[in-house]
Amino acid sequence: MPDTPLLDIKGLRVGFDTETGPVVAVDGIDLTLAPGRTLGLVGESGCGKSVTAFSIMRLLPQPHGTILSGQILFNGHDLAAAPLPSLCRLRGREISMIFQEPMTALNPVHPIGRQLAEAVSLHDPAPTAEVRRRCVEMLTRVRIPAPEARMNEYPHQLSGGMRQRIMIAMALINKPKLLIADEPTTALDVTVQAQILRLISDLQKEMGMGVILITHDLGVIAETCDDVAVMYAGRIVERAPVRELFAHPRHAYTRGLLASIPRLDSTPKTRLPAIPGQVAAITDFVEGCRFAQRLGLDPGTTRPPLIEIAPDHWVENFPSMLQAV
Amino acid sequence: MPLLSTTDLKVHFPIRGGVFARTAAWCRAVDGVSLSINPGETLGLVGESGCGKTTVGKAVVRLLEPTAGRIEFEKTDITRIPPRQLKPHRRHLQMIFQDPAESLNPRHSVRDILEEPFLIHRLGDRAERRQKVARLLDKVGLPSTAAEKFPFEFSGGQRQRIGIARAIALDPKLIVCDEAVSALDVSVQSQVLNLLLDLQRDLGLSYLFISHNLAVVKHMSDKVAVMYLGKIVELASSEAIYQHPRHAYTKALLAANPVPDPAAARHRVFLDGDVPSPINPPPGCAFGHRMKHPQYDQSLQSNPQLTEISPGHFVQLCACCTPAPATPDVAPPANHE
Repeated sequence: MPDTPLLDIKGLRVGFDTETGPVVAVDGIDLTLAPGRTLGLVGESGCGKSVTAFSIMRLLPQPHGTILSGQILFNGHDLAAAPLPSLCRLRGREISMIFQEPMTALNPVHPIGRQLAEAVSLHDPAPTAEVRRRCVEMLTRVRIPAPEARMNEYPHQLSGGMRQRIMIAMALINKPKLLIADEPTTALDVTVQAQILRLISDLQKEMGMGVILITHDLGVIAETCDDVAVMYAGRIVERAPVRELFAHPRHAYTRGLLASIPRLDSTPKTRLPAIPGQVAAITDFVEGCRFAQRLGLDPGTTRPPLIEIAPDHWVENFPSMLQAV
Repeated sequence: MPLLSTTDLKVHFPIRGGVFARTAAWCRAVDGVSLSINPGETLGLVGESGCGKTTVGKAVVRLLEPTAGRIEFEKTDITRIPPRQLKPHRRHLQMIFQDPAESLNPRHSVRDILEEPFLIHRLGDRAERRQKVARLLDKVGLPSTAAEKFPFEFSGGQRQRIGIARAIALDPKLIVCDEAVSALDVSVQSQVLNLLLDLQRDLGLSYLFISHNLAVVKHMSDKVAVMYLGKIVELASSEAIYQHPRHAYTKALLAANPVPDPAAARHRVFLDGDVPSPINPPPGCAFGHRMKHPQYDQSLQSNPQLTEISPGHFVQLCACCTPAPATPDVAPPANHE
């Protein structure tokens, strides 16, 4: 681990005002990411993984979403407390984000060339011809066939995989130091998913950026990430280097998740070891162990602390969640 | 004797354009699909988006009119029979949809949703229907109090259970599951897959299980059909598809499936490009065309056909995708554990 992490999140708490009162979607999480590394954030819908991503970009829906406490240190600067003008200088240049749905993230009434050029000229007053040259170069990099012609096309004229490659081009055109990819391949076919993931990791090696990859697919995590954080109900329950996590999962939730995926080499038509129950509604979260709450066990009254059980392997310490396999 | 069989099923959609909305072209969504499902059996249908797998599912339950070909269900040709004659068969042919939020009427209570099949088919009186609803909820693992609630009060997994309860209400023989678990979280997905397996065992159901997730399809099915651009390119037992895939597309799909094991050896075959449009499908072997295979031109003359290469294992043979003899040019994914 290098001394200065690229991103260092400390005790981040994010809340939302809802009709039924305030809720805490991200409940005090710590994460670090070194330059050039990929951190996977995995968990079920509603566990707070996307909210974490949006907090880093400070793109929480306003006025309902707020960072309640904690720090998001990016190269030592606290993004959680940064004023808007300095954020605008960072967004799209130092930190970029790829969204899940390329069709909703791209503007349907502008040709993609103009949208790409905007990302460049917002941060760099280069001459138009130079901007265009960079756009075409980036489109070539993400393997868009006939990039010159594509510049004048609209998002609806492209296939899903192609649109996602445009999103990647847009996110990477300013060579950011940090890329946040929020379910970048969930809407895509496996074959296209493989292309996109390879593309992200090739460009990462080339540019040395740090990547946060958010997904619910443990297969994607296993193939692309260096480190993994497993989120459950707004908290990180386990965090480890990827091989360590898959080889020695300690938390009952991580183990349950790994066991419940159908695999190509599993025996067909056999029952899968499913995790019983379901995630509690966000308004019903307890202070104690939230996975124990799902299983109908006594969750205790205090938050289980994270303990380091092996080098860099942290797990939420709740006795009934840590029984030996 | 198969429960359901299709012979050379074709579903083409007209693309209309111009001032008089004339048919300008045809989208060949399903272009000659023959398959059969035996009682109590699951046939998996897998392929990329746009390959026509959903269209096959909808045509089989006659939600779409087939353009050509034949669908036989319980020895009756149901391809073109009028709605009145189709109705008694519909009881035995049900469907579960991908998005339970969109396939359940938000203004109907769960009781309304589950009683509707009985009302449509004029089965039972009020008391009997109430009893049936209670039994259905119990079968899919929902509390009896669920009957008075509305779909929005449930989580995604529970909503899919309601969809399943509706599908099994009339004791069907075949259920088409169209991406039934794709919208669910991993931990809930396995619960619903288990439920489908339990119901099949208890009720002797047959499934046409459609999904883009090869691992899920393989886990649920006895036989798997791999579709590409409106055609089946390989059909075999679920073990054979995984252990001895023969068609280059099947191999590519297997290789692209992310393996949840960072220590696993990777045999990635990267496919470039996207699925071509079914509006003007390339002639000959469509996959060879996508891969720009040097032997693609040979398939233009031979017109690749589905051929039985070993008992129960059918492959669309062509020089580009199934080079003979069966050289293992792409090793099947390594076995873990």
